[in-house]
Amino acid sequence: MKSRKLTAVVSALTAVTLAAACSSGTGSSSSNDNKTLTLASVDQGSIEDVIKAFEAANPGVKVTFTTSGADQYQAQIRTQLSSGTAPDVMTVWPGNGNPGATYVLAKPGYLLDLSDQPWAGQLPDAFKQVAQYEGKTYNAVFGLNGIGAVYNDEALAKSGLKAPATWTQLLKFCGDAAGKGTPAFALGIQDNWVTQLVLYALAATTVFGADKDFDAKLQSGQATFANSQWTTAMAKYQEMFSAGCFRKNPLGTSYEASQALAATGKTLGIVQGNWIIGLLKQKNPAGKFTMKALPATDDPAGFLMPAAAGAGYGVNAKAKNKDLALKFVNYVMSPEGMKLFNEKQGSLPTLQGAGTTVDPGLAELTTFVKDNRTVPFMDQLWPNAKVQQTMLSGLQEVFSKQTTPDQVLKDMDTEYKKGA
Amino acid sequence: MLPALALFTFVVLVPSGRGVYYAFTDWDGLDPDFAFVGLRNFTDMLGDEDALQAIWHTVLIAVAITIIQNGIGLLLALGVNSLIKTRNVLRVLLFAPAVVTPIVTAYLWRNLLGPDGAVNAVLGPWGRDWLGDPDLALWMIVVVVVWQFAGYSMVIFLAGLQSIPREIYEAAAIDGTGPVRRFWSIVRPLLAPAITINLMLSIIGGIKLFDQVYALTGGGPGHATDTISTLIYKDAFTLGEFGYSIALAVVLTIIVAIASGAQYTVLNRNEKAAS
Repeated sequence: MKSRKLTAVVSALTAVTLAAACSSGTGSSSSNDNKTLTLASVDQGSIEDVIKAFEAANPGVKVTFTTSGADQYQAQIRTQLSSGTAPDVMTVWPGNGNPGATYVLAKPGYLLDLSDQPWAGQLPDAFKQVAQYEGKTYNAVFGLNGIGAVYNDEALAKSGLKAPATWTQLLKFCGDAAGKGTPAFALGIQDNWVTQLVLYALAATTVFGADKDFDAKLQSGQATFANSQWTTAMAKYQEMFSAGCFRKNPLGTSYEASQALAATGKTLGIVQGNWIIGLLKQKNPAGKFTMKALPATDDPAGFLMPAAAGAGYGVNAKAKNKDLALKFVNYVMSPEGMKLFNEKQGSLPTLQGAGTTVDPGLAELTTFVKDNRTVPFMDQLWPNAKVQQTMLSGLQEVFSKQTTPDQVLKDMDTEYKKGA
Repeated sequence: MLPALALFTFVVLVPSGRGVYYAFTDWDGLDPDFAFVGLRNFTDMLGDEDALQAIWHTVLIAVAITIIQNGIGLLLALGVNSLIKTRNVLRVLLFAPAVVTPIVTAYLWRNLLGPDGAVNAVLGPWGRDWLGDPDLALWMIVVVVVWQFAGYSMVIFLAGLQSIPREIYEAAAIDGTGPVRRFWSIVRPLLAPAITINLMLSIIGGIKLFDQVYALTGGGPGHATDTISTLIYKDAFTLGEFGYSIALAVVLTIIVAIASGAQYTVLNRNEKAAS
């Protein structure tokens, strides 16, 4: 008797928790007519408008789409591709080094060759390199993103400080800002992808300013992370820490929380990608934000900024509706599609003449791009995803004193040498 | 019985068995061409510091949760089983966190425990970087899980307590037993089935823990809070090492089977001895 009651309670409890834990899945099965396009994207907040405009330009066409965060998307797209249930058009990252990247998906033949599309030949070389695999174009990269120091203009004015133009000024700026009780930069490295941004901003100038061909040397085995200027970049990252550049407890601060800090002037700025400006404005619509190169040396003329193609779109090699899929991708790469997409995302267009209105806060990035003073995001040409992941968790360990920068660089070399 | 067994075979056993096969391959989750690599994934694990660390974290979390959650659950059950006036309200309140999806409570606590969160606001100068400090983060995960599921253990203990006949207490009272003696000689043995179920559920839950870890710390800082489950997820979906990740899952299955099997045997023996 008593054990029956117990069993009843336990099974009732299990049912309650299961019901609570279950989330509703959406199985979108599309009808197979030539008016319906299926699409999966990570561009939450901008793809919706692009689809609306595409549908308006093509009456009768219906786009069935899903959006998700990058982590979830990468898991989902791989499962869908290998089981033959992937959508016609999908987000594809440029280059290599992540599970949804061009090289990774093109190699087993999952992507349609887009080389004869009108825009493929017009892409500048820096983008061709990451949109192509073995000489064929697979990725419609429409936007360009850069990393730098983004300042909250109002907070900066209030502090009476000026945005630093050299490395020496940067360290002094950090000290002064901390002294006034408003630290220079918010840093949300609880989300581990954020850890790389400051390092990339420093490495652009210290590693690639010193040797533009560093990547080629790394590939041929002539150079390693551990015996290169990467050690300088690492050392400068740590120096920024000890100079008080970042608000306290960055390891417990999330990406979300760091945005709130910079948006509301609790810090003078944040080292992030240009996409942050749109997010900061959501949190503080009256705010003005300006992006500048993060000084890494005392020679401003030698500064480089990390800037690279953002995620673009590829077409499923087994697309149910190939014609419409190509039409969509070509719309994204057309002047009006590119303008709409980049204005919504706060990014720069990859093709000339898109007529995109760029946020005034991005003037410096635009100039750097025009003057060819940019370096692609370092991971885009690394041979596997493990190199980047080793760096990301390694940096968290450096700042929680579980390891040393030299060890992290050595571990990255080990993973790099394992190849694809 | 037979139809159920057939269903179970085709829906659970066969797919799981086929899944295990991939633990012996180098499949990347995408490429239809993959090779059989024998035991390499398992031998790699022995040299993989992250994996060994994750196994250790998993054991720590499972043991800590099992002890603390059931300890608190039992005390709560004894409390709300007494005749205090608000007991019904208390029962509902204490059980309430258990019906919320773990991911939601974890995000809630991630904000509460953040550098500018409510916890630090209350503690003032004694505030810490709860989730960013590798020495604290693992224990914060335990705290959050216990906070959520102590009420769950309580309800099971409560059901056990209420099935103890009142006459036994009365007889004991006549014999002049104190509360400690009463707990040890009457409640404890008669509660044995509830203890078995509770320990089993919490140890399995603790070993498989994923949602709370992923939402609170993502396994960080570094790998300081990675458990076998978070590592399985990362290896498969961020690194594309499906073969290796499935090998880890096989190890996890074996650990769960051993832990629950051993526990069941021991507790079942005690239960029989007690009744």
